[in-house]
Amino acid sequence: MIRRASLLAAAAAVWGVAAWFLWRTTVPSSLHLPHVDEHGFFTAAQLHAAASFSRVEDILFWGTTLLQIAALAAFARWGARWARESAAGPVGTGMLLGMLGFALVWVVQLPLEVVDLWWQRRHDLSKVGYTSFLFGDWFSLAGQFVFLCLALAIVMGLARRFRSTWWIWAAPPFIGLTLLFAFVSPYLVTTHPLHSARLRAIASRLEVQEGVGHVPIEVQDIHDVTSLPNSEATGLGPSRRVIIFDTMLDGRFTTGELKVVIGHELGHLARHHIWKDVGWYALFAFPGLFLIAQVTKLRGGLREPAAVPLALLALVVLDLFALPLQNAISRHMEAEADWRALVTTRDPKDAIALFRRFVPTTLDEPNPSTWDYVMLENHPTIVQRIAMAEAYATSAAQSP
Amino acid sequence: MHQDHPVKLVVTDDLRRSRPRVFFTLLLAIPHFVWLFLWTVLMVVVVILNWVVALATGRPAAALHRLTCSYIRYATHVNAYVDLVANPYPGFSGEEGKYPIDVRLPELTPQSRWKTFFRLFLAVPALVMASALGGGGITYTTSSSGRSRFAGASARGALAITCAVLGWFASMAQGHMPKGLRDASAYSLGYTAQVMAYLLLVTDRYPDADPTAMLDGVGRPPVHTVRLVGDADDLRFSRLTVFFRLLLTIPHFVWLVLWGIAVFVAAILNWFVTLFRGTPARSLHAFISRYVRYQLHVYAFLYLAANPFPGFDGAPGRYPLDLQLPEPARQNRWKTGFRIVLAVPALAVNGALGYGLAAAAFLTWFVALARGSAPWGLRNFSAYALRYQAQANAYLLLLTDAYPHASPLEGAESPQHEFAEAA
Repeated sequence: MIRRASLLAAAAAVWGVAAWFLWRTTVPSSLHLPHVDEHGFFTAAQLHAAASFSRVEDILFWGTTLLQIAALAAFARWGARWARESAAGPVGTGMLLGMLGFALVWVVQLPLEVVDLWWQRRHDLSKVGYTSFLFGDWFSLAGQFVFLCLALAIVMGLARRFRSTWWIWAAPPFIGLTLLFAFVSPYLVTTHPLHSARLRAIASRLEVQEGVGHVPIEVQDIHDVTSLPNSEATGLGPSRRVIIFDTMLDGRFTTGELKVVIGHELGHLARHHIWKDVGWYALFAFPGLFLIAQVTKLRGGLREPAAVPLALLALVVLDLFALPLQNAISRHMEAEADWRALVTTRDPKDAIALFRRFVPTTLDEPNPSTWDYVMLENHPTIVQRIAMAEAYATSAAQSP
Repeated sequence: MHQDHPVKLVVTDDLRRSRPRVFFTLLLAIPHFVWLFLWTVLMVVVVILNWVVALATGRPAAALHRLTCSYIRYATHVNAYVDLVANPYPGFSGEEGKYPIDVRLPELTPQSRWKTFFRLFLAVPALVMASALGGGGITYTTSSSGRSRFAGASARGALAITCAVLGWFASMAQGHMPKGLRDASAYSLGYTAQVMAYLLLVTDRYPDADPTAMLDGVGRPPVHTVRLVGDADDLRFSRLTVFFRLLLTIPHFVWLVLWGIAVFVAAILNWFVTLFRGTPARSLHAFISRYVRYQLHVYAFLYLAANPFPGFDGAPGRYPLDLQLPEPARQNRWKTGFRIVLAVPALAVNGALGYGLAAAAFLTWFVALARGSAPWGLRNFSAYALRYQAQANAYLLLLTDAYPHASPLEGAESPQHEFAEAA
């Protein structure tokens, strides 16, 4: 008992230390964010449009989440009966049950997803047709099936070999897979180099300032799918790159604003946020798998295919509970990337202009409710981002 | 489980072929093409009249029924001639009992008015299947640049054409048609005759794709070293797994590809071993056997020939539709040396059967989703196509030097040949 408690305490201490290292940021702890009134930056019409759009999006998010949980709860209760449709042995049968669970979730969520598409098309944010949406969804479901089967093969194989301690052995392969995916993901999207010589020159200067070495700036053509502006820093080591959606380069954003965007993404790379993402994943993988192992003991453990439906339910519920924490971590890193962009560009005006332009172009609420903030926002709110830019401007003005 | 279909194929062909007749088949058939085309135009009018009569009185007109029966027989004779399923030059009247490949058609009987009214729509699935198998006989038109034009006097399917082309070369070389190709073509002709009989109101009984029932009375081929085993009567399907069948198979596709890469290397090694030793290496043989069996399990699942989700190891005896494969045995070195070239005709037949398999799976999907069970005929056709595929794979991958047998019939311990192929 004492040995167990000591082990647990040691593991918790290691976890805490690792989390502390991952949480460290270059945003000054003394930085005071001023109060920002959104009415001073946005028109009433803009605020109304963002609020009405977000209200329906929130309903749809909660609708699909609840439907997902309900479907998986029903599947956890009755799904094991489909094991008789398998001649694949325990692991293969587990895969079948896992895929059927995902398929059921897809079916029950589909109507709301179609409504979501309709809502986004109505606001000119999506350009995906209903037919291509349905077919595209099938392809995405197919990809999920492959990943799910791989995951179940790992956990069930280990559960059959190591019984109750399988979760300790299962975490490293998943962390390895996450690392692999982080490395290869830039190669999975079709991009082309940034044409603008001016932006390339700006990017080169920012790379030097951040000390990240050469990072390719790529453009992803996405304008026939969505009008949403976005960009991302992606890849590890030689696969590192910044990808900008071509919807950011269609004239709606000025060169100064794009400079802030590039600075933000290079900030992610300079502060090793993708590595940190994998680190956080590793920290959550162990307790997450442990909890799943405990829950599935109710059905004989994950070595039994009958436990798979319950494992899916546990995974989704855990994921929902972990969402506020995941969002907090993501917001923390995004805030640091914003800060790096301000430090390297020294241009709070363009940063504020960029953040202001996000409201009419993305219909994001500048200052959402606390509930939305906790559960849905993985970036600082627009108001917080503007406040940081103002705080930087103030501190820059005060420094000699 | 299974009722006799009123449209019966009668095969009295002895497999002998005259080489001059084979060489000039298409040229000699020109008068028949012209006559078949004219008769087909007449049949368009006849079938409309007959449809009205059948709707009004509950049964087709006797004279029109007789004319339609003659037309179906004649189309079958002509196609049997062109496809080298029979040797003699056919007559022009479609008389019963006068040709080695014949169709026995039912007497005039009352028909359901509902089935008559919707006949054209009801026939669509059977037409889909017939277009994959072949046999032909129905005139159709296609639209080109918005203008309709005649595309031909008979619809040809992949299986019939492939067997005819391969049969042409074989008949020219040997003076007789290989039994497997003849049986496969005869089956496709029989199925097409059933579809025509249904579409042209000769019977309201739906066409039956079961190859064994179609070739009832035809001599069975010898037992092949690669054969299917399993419970033939289990047609039960889970609707949920049927609905997501394609998606559920995706992990198996990934595994098939990965395993296939290893098998490719193993097959090359095995080729050298078999060529030098005369016998495949036991370990490689076992490894490739598992792959071939696994492939059968996956395709049986995908194409709805079997219900359960298959395992990933290709172990024998675990799947309801299983494959019996031979132990490593001595193989002819010549056949081993030229295996890839020799396998080309088998791969062509396999490709042609693949169209039928896809069509059967497409149709079975709807039926199984609605009824929770597979149609007997389509399932048996799928089993035939999968068996041939397994035999072709086993041949190509050096598990056996026994050539795949294209006959839809299962092998018998004492084969009944209409014609001693060695003679």
